[in-house]
Amino acid sequence: MDAPNKSIIDAYLEEQQRLQTPVARFTEAHSRTAKPALESVYRDLIPLSKPGPYEQYAFEVDLDSCTGCKACVTACNSLNGLDETESWRDVGLLLGGTPAAPFQQTITTACHHCADPACLNGCPVLAYEKDARTGIVFHLDDQCIGCQYCVLMCPYDVPKYNERLGIVRKCDMCHQRLAAGEAPACVQACPTSAISIVTVSVRHSEPERVDTSKFLAAAPAPDNTQPTTRYVSQRALPENARAADATALRPQPPHWPLVVMLTLLPAAIGTQVIQLLPLAVGAPAFMHWVPIVMGAIGLACASLHLGQPLRAWRVFLGLRQSWFSREAVLFGAWVGFLVIRESMPMFNVMTVFTGLVGLLCSVMIYVDTRRSFWRFSQTFPRFFGTGTVLALAIVAPQYAAQALTLKLVFETFSLTGKSISARLLRGPLRRATILRYTLGAAGVFVTYYMTNLLPGPLSLPLQGALVALLFAGELAERYLFFRAVDSPKMPGMPSAGGITT
Amino acid sequence: MTTAVQNFLRAVDGPMTSELVLRPGNFGLGLIPARLKPVTTTSMICGFCSTGCSLKVHLDKNGEAVNLSPDADYPVNLGMACPKGWEALTPLAAPDRATAPLLRQPDGSMASVSWDEALSMFCGRFKEVQATHGPDSVAVLSTGQIVTEEMALLGAVAKFGMGVKHLDSNTRQCMATTHVAYKESFGFDAPPFTYADFEESDVLVFFGANPCIAHPIMWQRVMNNKRNPRIIVVDPRRTETAMAASQHYAIQPKSDLTLLYGLANKLITLEAVDQTFIDAHTDGYEAFARHAREFTTARVCAATGLTPDELDRFAVDIADRTKRVSLWWTMGVNQGHESTRTAQAIINLSLMTGQIGRPGTGANSITGQCNAMGSRLFGNATSLLGGYDYGNAEHRAHVAKILEIDPSVIPTEKSWAYDQIIDGIESGKIRGLWVIATDPAHSWINQGRFARLREKLDFLVVQDMYTTTNTAQTADLILPAAGWGEKAGIFINSERRLGAVRKVARSPGIALSDFAIFKLVAEYWGVGERFDRWESPEDAFQILKELSRGQPYDFTGVKDHAHLTASGGVQWPWTEAEAAEAGAKPPGQERRLFADGNFFTPRKRAKFVFDEPRPMPELPDTEYPLLLLTGRGTSAQWHTGSRTNKSGVLRKLAPTSLYVELNPTDATRLKVKSGDKVHVWSRRGEAQATAMITPTVQVGQIFMPMHFDEVNRLTYPAFDPHSRQPSYKACAVALERAAHR
Repeated sequence: MDAPNKSIIDAYLEEQQRLQTPVARFTEAHSRTAKPALESVYRDLIPLSKPGPYEQYAFEVDLDSCTGCKACVTACNSLNGLDETESWRDVGLLLGGTPAAPFQQTITTACHHCADPACLNGCPVLAYEKDARTGIVFHLDDQCIGCQYCVLMCPYDVPKYNERLGIVRKCDMCHQRLAAGEAPACVQACPTSAISIVTVSVRHSEPERVDTSKFLAAAPAPDNTQPTTRYVSQRALPENARAADATALRPQPPHWPLVVMLTLLPAAIGTQVIQLLPLAVGAPAFMHWVPIVMGAIGLACASLHLGQPLRAWRVFLGLRQSWFSREAVLFGAWVGFLVIRESMPMFNVMTVFTGLVGLLCSVMIYVDTRRSFWRFSQTFPRFFGTGTVLALAIVAPQYAAQALTLKLVFETFSLTGKSISARLLRGPLRRATILRYTLGAAGVFVTYYMTNLLPGPLSLPLQGALVALLFAGELAERYLFFRAVDSPKMPGMPSAGGITT
Repeated sequence: MTTAVQNFLRAVDGPMTSELVLRPGNFGLGLIPARLKPVTTTSMICGFCSTGCSLKVHLDKNGEAVNLSPDADYPVNLGMACPKGWEALTPLAAPDRATAPLLRQPDGSMASVSWDEALSMFCGRFKEVQATHGPDSVAVLSTGQIVTEEMALLGAVAKFGMGVKHLDSNTRQCMATTHVAYKESFGFDAPPFTYADFEESDVLVFFGANPCIAHPIMWQRVMNNKRNPRIIVVDPRRTETAMAASQHYAIQPKSDLTLLYGLANKLITLEAVDQTFIDAHTDGYEAFARHAREFTTARVCAATGLTPDELDRFAVDIADRTKRVSLWWTMGVNQGHESTRTAQAIINLSLMTGQIGRPGTGANSITGQCNAMGSRLFGNATSLLGGYDYGNAEHRAHVAKILEIDPSVIPTEKSWAYDQIIDGIESGKIRGLWVIATDPAHSWINQGRFARLREKLDFLVVQDMYTTTNTAQTADLILPAAGWGEKAGIFINSERRLGAVRKVARSPGIALSDFAIFKLVAEYWGVGERFDRWESPEDAFQILKELSRGQPYDFTGVKDHAHLTASGGVQWPWTEAEAAEAGAKPPGQERRLFADGNFFTPRKRAKFVFDEPRPMPELPDTEYPLLLLTGRGTSAQWHTGSRTNKSGVLRKLAPTSLYVELNPTDATRLKVKSGDKVHVWSRRGEAQATAMITPTVQVGQIFMPMHFDEVNRLTYPAFDPHSRQPSYKACAVALERAAHR
């Protein structure tokens, strides 16, 4: 083609890249005032005054006005400058009703700014704060160590882990806006004014209580954390209204560092305990070092789980409230005592005590989340069972087969019934479940064979192989412990990544 | 000091905390993230749907968009936006943007080429096709998503420059029905309403419309209605809008025409007819009344599934002449096998009761795409540029004079419609195809056929923002286009409001605005001088004004793009005379048509148009026992998702894979549970989907959202005979649980 056309192309390309600068002709004569243009729209949607004593702010959602546009979610993302997929407000769907009167209802949800917030209660570094005046549950982003324990503690799936920052972030009710007399992003953005901020009264007790009768019936029960959000409607929700994702089975994240840590540490603590018992007589001297090595690797693994490990030194701050803090401090002490006892054997008892109580704290971390699969009767036998099985394999393998058999039988009870965890284990996690039982059965068989049918004491390489096999089985069990847990949340959307059996 | 110690133990401040600090944004924005504080703002119309919301774009010192928020001062959206609007800038930054022309290589791969090569290839190949197979063998499929100036230039370059005869647009898929219905009934494609009518009405009836999620900002206006309105929804599904209504009539799919005639009959019986209005302003009522009387209660109830009481109640609700009754429809009506008559049956109800031309009344079509209205006027498809007639020599001469071209270059016949172009590919008459900003391989009905036809095309050019649309992936040449926000022009919304868009972002690589591409095509085709008047979108706007002069949509009173923004948009008509009379005063912000009862027909009288209803072409039977309904899934998804799927936060708001809504009774019978993978098939194709069990669809019906391309493998290619719009909404399918993994 001839040159003139090329110069036309260049001219268009140049023109394409040219933007009107702010002083150019498209600039509008906007007043530079800070006064928000939407003030008159949301004036009635936020309280006129700050909450008084025994009061706090709360979200109120008028279900009759909420018709499913979902603008609140995008406005939260945009007006708070959040990351691409991050939003502190989510929407879900309720379905139900009768053939004559089918029912659907969009549910918009942010943080419920609970009167007794589980996120706050579980945080090991006091990275949460409930504002004394407004009741807003704040998250201190620079304090957070990224342990994600709050994610497990919150029954409403509110705090969300931010990979980029290695911390959790959550809704702060746009407290900066409220302080300036502006409405939160979601309130401002609702085309039908379905979301507002109201003041609710708080019963001053220990822990504090609010009226949860206006809380959503199809959501996880409010008695645990006392969520303050009020879902109001002129028409009663049908009894059978269920979340559209209620039957979806959602395998939870495996948390690999925790899987490894919670296999190694029970083994280490168990080994140290059993080594003091008579059945350990005759074990080789290097066995003494096994708990220390396993414990150190376990704790190192745990730090890998943290998004901000350099801030983890603050973990003692939560000792008064958080099992997480207690576990971390006790395990730290336990490793210390393990080393000290080398020169001062009187620390043996101290070490045993610290280790066992530390492991109990590990159990309580999960029990405290109030998830069914992690209740005490499930978690305690699993963690202490792992310790027993692996410690026996290391110290006294002749008893390991029996212990593992017992543990496998116990675990089998979780596979039956209609609980979410049982359905997860049989359904989406069935391959991992099969692996766990294959490793378990192989462990029982090989252990029995080696200790009862092979002549003479086990050679070290053989015993090492045996321990590795049983360790792999326990890893698989711990993996399933995390993945198969029931995970309560607010109503979500249909088929958004869920699987059913 | 204490603070420092406290902060050491408990860091209440620091870099991560400050990421979320808000600062006053000025410009009426209130507090906004400190790091996104704009130097200034500018307003422009959203580029998704036809609501036509104004978005206030936040600009940095280079004039580049950093964020946006809905415009509080605009009469359409009053400071609100739906999720798509909030996320309108995000799709511009997608990694699959087309950044350079891509040419198919002999080995099947795509290689980037210069514009010079691309344009030479474009013209060389298309001219070759035309030389071999005749000038009509190259066709164009256009869009309702680009600005009016671009549509008009495309139509002009293709038809008056390249000698293309067959050009149609994806607005055939959404608004052709309304276009034809209004044109026959009112004498011009003229939606009579203004959004204030949502607020001014006492009875609002929505036929086949789900504004709660399809047009949330229009629904906002309904919610703003302070007259305690009665809201009636006619829809086979219990949609979000049906939930929010005072009354929902879940009629059998595609029984709406019978229902509407039945209602007309009832209105006659109830003596709700406004004979004065009919006598003064309409033609054809007597014949229509005779026709309507055939639609007895028994007949209507049998077809619709309504009870006689329900039918009576419906009629009584719209019969009260002391109330303002407005009737609204959208795709549930437009996408049907007898859609034009259905839309006209709605119009007939408004005409016979005189419920038109006054606040809160009207037979009102809610439009689909952001610029479907622009396309209806300036697409240069089946009507000549500017709403004129190809067959009329005076019209051709008039248009030629305005464009300063030789009238002989204007075709004397109208284009084939979209489906006829597809047929033309099959029959070998169309051998070259240029597709602009649409994705027929996803969106065209019975899409499997479109895919097969690809092989019959000698040369397929796709001009798009993205290289990844289904159609682009099969193209011989991809021309990289700038998107909304990267170019200037105007859109026309549902209520006839002209609004401007502008450049607030740089397009990636060497992508060019569609306007520039069309200009370059003209140059390379060797007809550049014919379009010298079209120097820029702003110049093109002046041409459009001239074309509008004396037409029902006359907007000669609008000065330019900047005038539109300063006025909060301007509804057509706004003539020079009106502007002169108004003087310094801006045009009224809520203006409706037909207040004087004068319509646009030669006799200035509206026409009653009607026909005998026909059964839908493919009814469920024993082999395909379920009726598939299709439609919008959520407010976060736009059509084929080529833009909305690019936003992380929008992807969170909708299921990411195809799902099918199924009634619990059918689910039990088919042994399907929520979340099960199911297999759905029709006589034309099949799809895999996840089941969602919900009572909101009726027994025997299933619903699938159009945003997933598998859905159009199933749809049945029926077309309304008058508008040639495809009937996407109903076809027979079978469903079963997918075999276990």
